[in-house]
Amino acid sequence: MASVRSHESIELLTYSEVIEVSGYVGNFKVKIRKKPRYVDEIKCTGCGTCQEKCPMKADSEFDFGIGKRKVIYTPFPQAVPNIPVIDRERCTYFIKGKCRACEKFCEAKAIDFEQTEKIIDLDVGCIIVTTGFDSFDPTPISQFGYGRYDNVITGFQFERMSSASGPTGGKIVLKDGSEPRSLAILHCIGSRDLNYHEYCSRVCCMSSLKFAHLIREKIPDAEIYDLYIDLRCFGKGYEEFYNRLQEEGVNFIRGRAGEVTDIAETPEEIGRLVVLCEDTLIGRQRRLPVDMVILSNALEPRADAGEVAKLFSISRSKDGFFMEKHPKLDPVATTTDGVFVAGCCQGPKDIPDTVAQASAAAARVMAMISKGSVEIEAATAIIEEEFCSGCKTCIALCPYNAISFNEERKVSAINEALCKGCGTCAAACPSGAIISRHFTTEQIMAQLEGVLT
Amino acid sequence: MNHEPKIVGFLCNWCSYAAADLAGTSRRKYAPNVRVIRVMCSGRVEPTFILKAFQLGADGVLVCG
Repeated sequence: MASVRSHESIELLTYSEVIEVSGYVGNFKVKIRKKPRYVDEIKCTGCGTCQEKCPMKADSEFDFGIGKRKVIYTPFPQAVPNIPVIDRERCTYFIKGKCRACEKFCEAKAIDFEQTEKIIDLDVGCIIVTTGFDSFDPTPISQFGYGRYDNVITGFQFERMSSASGPTGGKIVLKDGSEPRSLAILHCIGSRDLNYHEYCSRVCCMSSLKFAHLIREKIPDAEIYDLYIDLRCFGKGYEEFYNRLQEEGVNFIRGRAGEVTDIAETPEEIGRLVVLCEDTLIGRQRRLPVDMVILSNALEPRADAGEVAKLFSISRSKDGFFMEKHPKLDPVATTTDGVFVAGCCQGPKDIPDTVAQASAAAARVMAMISKGSVEIEAATAIIEEEFCSGCKTCIALCPYNAISFNEERKVSAINEALCKGCGTCAAACPSGAIISRHFTTEQIMAQLEGVLT
Repeated sequence: MNHEPKIVGFLCNWCSYAAADLAGTSRRKYAPNVRVIRVMCSGRVEPTFILKAFQLGADGVLVCG
């Protein structure tokens, strides 16, 4: 990200939102709302004093609620650009009109409470949508006790906990601050489950194995249970990693957990969590007393995926992720020319796959730019001007707004870059002045004769 | 009672034609009575196409889109 920001031909707009897209490949007009940070991006040096002095705290979104951040904050230490933003809804100054501590201590005089949002208009040739995913909230699967038991956490929360820059400084700890002696990692929470998401989230097997490895490294004598349906170690070096973990003494249990409970049946279960499961390889029910349960939760489409899809005129597949033009032959393009997708917004994928898809999308865009011209579908409609009466029926009917009226010549004109060749205009034209290329009336009549005689 | 109706189907390229295509690639069967004519949009279908189909002996016309 830092190298993207410092690249001379890349303009990075953070804390901004696309609000309107019009036009077509090569000539998109994009309207962007740049939200106010209340910090002057040019004056700010990124020293961090304001974050130290701010008296108010809020739950950190980046830490998935297990850590705190200040109300003037950068989401995480390596965030680009290193310029904080004021959380307007929680800032004492915006709520009560008093405080301004950040302003007082800012040596660069960068705090600007008067900042307002800016609308930026851009002309662009291509668009790559890389809006990512949301993490599945396991609260609705009540049998796992997420949100009910303190020490049932999601994989993303564990990830932050084991990070050296995370809220615990990299220590794996229970809610009471002590170190867990035994842990269970539950795979496929919300994925491969007809009640939630039918698809496999693809990354959780490997991230769960990584969690087990991190636990083994940090708490060498911990008892680790990994409960899986199938282990999908599909990538380069992945199966080897799985073998290594088996040698590290992780207990792999083939069977989806049925329940996490705190009701003890034996003295050793008292005060702990018990994972109920069926070990399908030995064909027996088991009760696993553990101190911490990590739910490897699914990746799901972002909550606003519907609006984003509408904005860029792209479609979504059954699972809610953005749909590619062709699953095998064109996995980065979309049905809208000039709009590409990459990463988890198109479907769950791991980092190597995301990098590959993003590189492919960038290469496709570069190829279009360096070529300088765009090939369009030949199946478009054309107007035979001598027959056009100028009734404008077609203009109102065109779903792609591809038809305009030439006032000088009093005839309709079709923009071939916008026309998708649907032929609605050709069917509706009372004068028969529009030819739908490749689907002309003669061609269809001939086909009718062909199929019926 | 061996009458097999002839049905002409005008199918939209993006949905119903794609579905018919998917049926093929998924090795599912559908009745051969329907004779498919692909159009880029069901909006392309003119009333005369339908009348022409009946004139040529079709028992039914399906416009899908």
